[in-house]
Amino acid sequence: MSERRPDNGAGAAATLESAFEQRDSWCAAADRPLVGIFGNGMPENLIAAAGAVPVHLSMGNAVAEHEITSVIEPFVDDEVRTFLVRLMCGELAAYRGIVFARDDAPAMIAYQYATEWIRQDRKRAATPSLFLWNLVHTDSAPVRRFNSIQAGKLFDFLEATGLVRPDEASLKSASVEEIRRSRALHAMAGAVSGSTAFRWRNAGRFMGAGEHADLLEAGLAQNSDSHPAGLRIGLVGSPLASAPTYAMLEAFGQVVCDLQPLGSVWPGPGNLAASLEDVLARTAADSSCPRISPATAYRAAMVARLVEARCELVVCQLAQTDDTFGWEVPRLFDELKAQGIACVNLGFRDAAPPRAWVDEAASKIVKALEACS
Amino acid sequence: MTHEYTPLQATAAATDYQREWARSLRAQITSGEQYAFVNADTPHELFHHIGLPIVTNQWWSAIIAAKQLSEYYFDYMEAAGFHERLARYSSLPLIAELEGDKSRQPWGGLPTPSILCARQSADDHQKIFSLWAEITGAPLALISSPAVPSPQSDWWRLAREDWESLYHTDRLDLMVAEFEALIAQLEDLTGRRFDHEGFAHYMDRINLQERIYEEASELIARAPRCPIRISEQIPNVMIPQWHRGSDWAVAHATRFRDEVAARINSGVSVVENERIRMMWIGAGLWFDTSFYSAFEQSHGAVFAWSMYLPFASDGYIRESRGGPLRALAARVSAMNEQLHQPPWINSWMVEQARRYRIDVALMLIPEHDRFSGHGSLFAKQALEEAGVRVIEVWSDMVDPRQWNRDGMLARIVPELDAVLTEKRLT
Repeated sequence: MSERRPDNGAGAAATLESAFEQRDSWCAAADRPLVGIFGNGMPENLIAAAGAVPVHLSMGNAVAEHEITSVIEPFVDDEVRTFLVRLMCGELAAYRGIVFARDDAPAMIAYQYATEWIRQDRKRAATPSLFLWNLVHTDSAPVRRFNSIQAGKLFDFLEATGLVRPDEASLKSASVEEIRRSRALHAMAGAVSGSTAFRWRNAGRFMGAGEHADLLEAGLAQNSDSHPAGLRIGLVGSPLASAPTYAMLEAFGQVVCDLQPLGSVWPGPGNLAASLEDVLARTAADSSCPRISPATAYRAAMVARLVEARCELVVCQLAQTDDTFGWEVPRLFDELKAQGIACVNLGFRDAAPPRAWVDEAASKIVKALEACS
Repeated sequence: MTHEYTPLQATAAATDYQREWARSLRAQITSGEQYAFVNADTPHELFHHIGLPIVTNQWWSAIIAAKQLSEYYFDYMEAAGFHERLARYSSLPLIAELEGDKSRQPWGGLPTPSILCARQSADDHQKIFSLWAEITGAPLALISSPAVPSPQSDWWRLAREDWESLYHTDRLDLMVAEFEALIAQLEDLTGRRFDHEGFAHYMDRINLQERIYEEASELIARAPRCPIRISEQIPNVMIPQWHRGSDWAVAHATRFRDEVAARINSGVSVVENERIRMMWIGAGLWFDTSFYSAFEQSHGAVFAWSMYLPFASDGYIRESRGGPLRALAARVSAMNEQLHQPPWINSWMVEQARRYRIDVALMLIPEHDRFSGHGSLFAKQALEEAGVRVIEVWSDMVDPRQWNRDGMLARIVPELDAVLTEKRLT
């Protein structure tokens, strides 16, 4: 397909933009089986090693309605609501299975509500098999044993869906693709704006790592994106997929350190490992997981990365449903301010913030910068 | 003539005991004795058995709220940069600690704990306890919380004997290993040896205590009219629960059960003309417990059920089968989840509503304590399908700022009127 395999840089950039815009719909024509993923924390290479394309399902848009919304409380995250509607409407029926990352809170709720609706045999279209990926985020011998057992259960699940059970060779092969993707993602730093980097990075959630690497390499080779001058900006808080918000931020400078869950914390470090043992160990040690233990590792790693990126301004934004990141904000800001970094909390925003919110956010940043000057 | 409700003697005995225990504990810890500050769903048994006193986060939170201090602290919380949608029940003690003026707190505040312990059942628990650890310097023991991938809806039928298959071997193996690490930490901290042989006996005593509560629950459920208010059920269960397995706790459970039985035998009830039986779903409304009796005179409506009494048996009895530490892991490994996650919560609510012959359920849904609020609408639908009228109460257990008592009464009264009409009792 020429659209999917562009032979020039401009085509690659357009393809990445198209994949990002279409979200998981983009991969409908893939020539390999699809396995869905909900939530960060699931090493995609384990699915790739089974011969499937790992496709993230937490960024989709729902157009249909479904009565499952009658059991979804108003404080449930938007992406969970959207996913459940799509799942029960049959939009995801073509997937071999869907894997939920237990340590991503919305994914846990999505799994529970989906499985309960199905257990009650309530009205729904065809749904694929669902699997909960339990992984404990710390390092000890019992945890390593536990995580290894979970990998075995995942492989059983993948096999049961008709895929190949991952082995040493297929894991190594998957890691080669991931390493290529990782290099290409790193090469975006300074070459494209933070806004472009965000879109191109997340386009990869809807395709294989090799294809993503190809597109990134081609896109960067022909890149004419001008990265904005001004402040070096860090972005933290809830998962944010709003292009207008990025555009607003980059009116002040460049997003050089994007640590919100849809930012540069994905793909996780486990993807680069060639052996199962290393995949699990690196994933368990991923300090971007809010459930990492020791618990102080989360903020410490965040501060270290923002400082290392020489951020001058750190912007926090929160989903309406945030109940976790807010605990970090006062101390995070204290620690960053002690390093001379300006901080501004834009507060709560919708999944797709309206223009008025974006304008108000810009005013808050202006005021914060004035207060610092 | 107005029916006068007479409190149980056991209630005063329980609160007196707790007051004295608190006084003694305060004296111990302010004179430098070690204590642990722990979340409610952690293995208290390990701390008790090694002789390290504990203060439970949610109990301390309820104490602060009952002293009408929560409004002040939650205003402070927001001024300190924590947004208003963060959990309150589990964070109130932390906020009081951050505020720093110990003289404002009950007991003059808590000294620095020797150890903190939380379970990662909800993401924010580890954030809250991590902040505690940062400001106090106390070590934090985190118990991991992988989920049960295929929860069986009738968990309470399986949990006592067949817990290995219910909670899964891999999860229990991990939790036992984490308990062993915690025991080693407690041994280092206290300089005492954990008596494994004695622990089996201690676990048997806890099972005995919870079986007595099961008998009390059955008595109340089967009585022609509800013999005691839930505002008395709660302290008579939860105070001994904080001391579970001790001689006093077992004796108090017995005293409570026997006093309830005596009341039933002599025909004593909360209201003489009981017409509506209600359940209060969720944690207690700690700042306004008199709300539980608000409909007794007007509608003959009595709250017969709160989770604390029946959960004593279903949530706690785990037969050791030669492995008391593993049985403890079975008790702890889904303790909170059983009260908040589908299918566990919806199935159990229906079972309990049937057992207690419930007409109306008031369901507390704390929107800013999402772990406690998830699954509420599944439970609501299940109860409605079982013929129970459900009224949602969108409020918080410890924050009175959004509690509108008059508004809530105005919502509930028409519902109770409708029930009376349906039952042809008007």
